Amino acid sequence: MNTPSSEPQLKIYCEDINKTFIQKGHMEVPVIRNISLEVEENEFLVVLGPGQCGKSTLLRIIAGLETPDTGYVALDGFPVTGPGPDRGLVFQGYMLFAWNTVMGNVEMGLKLRGVPKQERRAVAHHYIRLVGLEGFENHYPHQLSGGMKQRVGIARAYANSPKVMLLDEPFGQLDAQTRMFMQHETSRIWEHEKRTVIFVTNNIDEALFLADRIVLMEGKLPGRIKKEYIVNLPRPRDHENPDLLELRALITSETELVL
Amino acid sequence: MGGSSIANETVGVSSGREGITFYQIITNTYLLYTVSLISFFLVWDRVAAWQVFGDSLARPHIVALKLYDLTQIKFAGTNLGGHIWASTQRVLIGFSLASFFAVPLGLFMALNRYANAIVKPIFDLFKPMPPIAWVSISILWFGVGEFSKIFIISIGTFVPCLLNSYNGIRLIEPELYDVIKVLGGSRKDEVVQVSFPASFPAIFAGLQISLSVAWTCLLAAELMNARDGMGFLIKRGMDTHQPSLVLGGMILIALMAWLSSLLISLMERKLCPWKRSIDNL
Repeated sequence: MNTPSSEPQLKIYCEDINKTFIQKGHMEVPVIRNISLEVEENEFLVVLGPGQCGKSTLLRIIAGLETPDTGYVALDGFPVTGPGPDRGLVFQGYMLFAWNTVMGNVEMGLKLRGVPKQERRAVAHHYIRLVGLEGFENHYPHQLSGGMKQRVGIARAYANSPKVMLLDEPFGQLDAQTRMFMQHETSRIWEHEKRTVIFVTNNIDEALFLADRIVLMEGKLPGRIKKEYIVNLPRPRDHENPDLLELRALITSETELVL
Repeated sequence: MGGSSIANETVGVSSGREGITFYQIITNTYLLYTVSLISFFLVWDRVAAWQVFGDSLARPHIVALKLYDLTQIKFAGTNLGGHIWASTQRVLIGFSLASFFAVPLGLFMALNRYANAIVKPIFDLFKPMPPIAWVSISILWFGVGEFSKIFIISIGTFVPCLLNSYNGIRLIEPELYDVIKVLGGSRKDEVVQVSFPASFPAIFAGLQISLSVAWTCLLAAELMNARDGMGFLIKRGMDTHQPSLVLGGMILIALMAWLSSLLISLMERKLCPWKRSIDNL
């Protein structure tokens, strides 16, 4: 879809972001400290870190659902001021509309923007097929398995043709086998329709399987970036690949175990 | 691991294919339903026949005959159908009136914090009051006519209707609104696409509770003072010592309450086809 330019284009730019939450009892909890980040066009960036390290908050700031206390996020050079259809978000808890069918969920973004029914149905159908849910258009979310629900979540974000896809631990609620299968699917879908992706996870194997680049977060609050790793391996990847295993050992050695 | 789980499945399948055993027959749910109901009526009949409560408990077939008789003759001006309709009409009017105002008000309160700040304190004041407490004051205010009965029913049904539609919106997962925001929707889109549909099951739950409250209020109102209706039949049965009439009235009210609740369930199934069918009990 996008013509490859000679030099990589900067898509997302985060400049020195800080965020502190005020909890009940006026206790200040610093969640993100001095995070700066650059994401290139069509890059698959994985933010890796354990639970409670501020990575989801970072994603919500990029989505525009939270405002940083200092610093800013820019998309294509323009500062982000709030949520918008140029950034699609896939939620850990699926967050499907239980009262809408698969079709109704996937076409929601287009519907909100006033795209005529025929047209949005065609687009939605394309993405339903892309995520492998053809034939389930008229099913309701409660009739689907966890993996299928998240396929709907991915199709719903994709159908809105965002410039950037933000995925917040999308497979966190799935069993190990489905999770691995969904990683393959994500890789396949992404290669089919390239987008700039920021994918948040706490699973190192998931990160290695999907990422062009991994950003490792500190293991505790406030969230900071600890290190970055380029994963320059051909796709689809093999979890047993020696280069991948070597990188895995390196990342593991630099990840502190915190309870 | 994988091998053992497959083996387990095989065992599970084969045990289901064995012939019907004696154990399966006596644990058949429908058989147990039948046994349960027959035993109930048998115990009722014996307790009545042996006069455990003296002559104050009618045998089941006497109650049935009494109800049949009432369909044939005029009792206090109208036959059985007339009495049923008199009560049903009161419930319908009172219930419709209350839900017509309470449901939108509950939604509005949940969506607008200023409306909430104004209405909630007054509502919280009235909320804990049992609806039947209104019976006497409404007779003082409105006399013993139709209006006071409808008033009592409306007051009683108003509270659960409002409370449930209010909670229906309050308990919506906030992240669902984020979905609309991220997809490019406005605040209006959030209300139309999330708040309203998501609160539907809670609204229906409220209607169900309201309806059962409505029948309770109706009975209270009719027992106090009425010239027709099922509550009147019960009252008259009590005053003239006719246990068959009292029991007949009780059964009729239960039947009508059950039917009206069934109607709401059907409506809900029609309007919320997406709702998980967990309420089949």
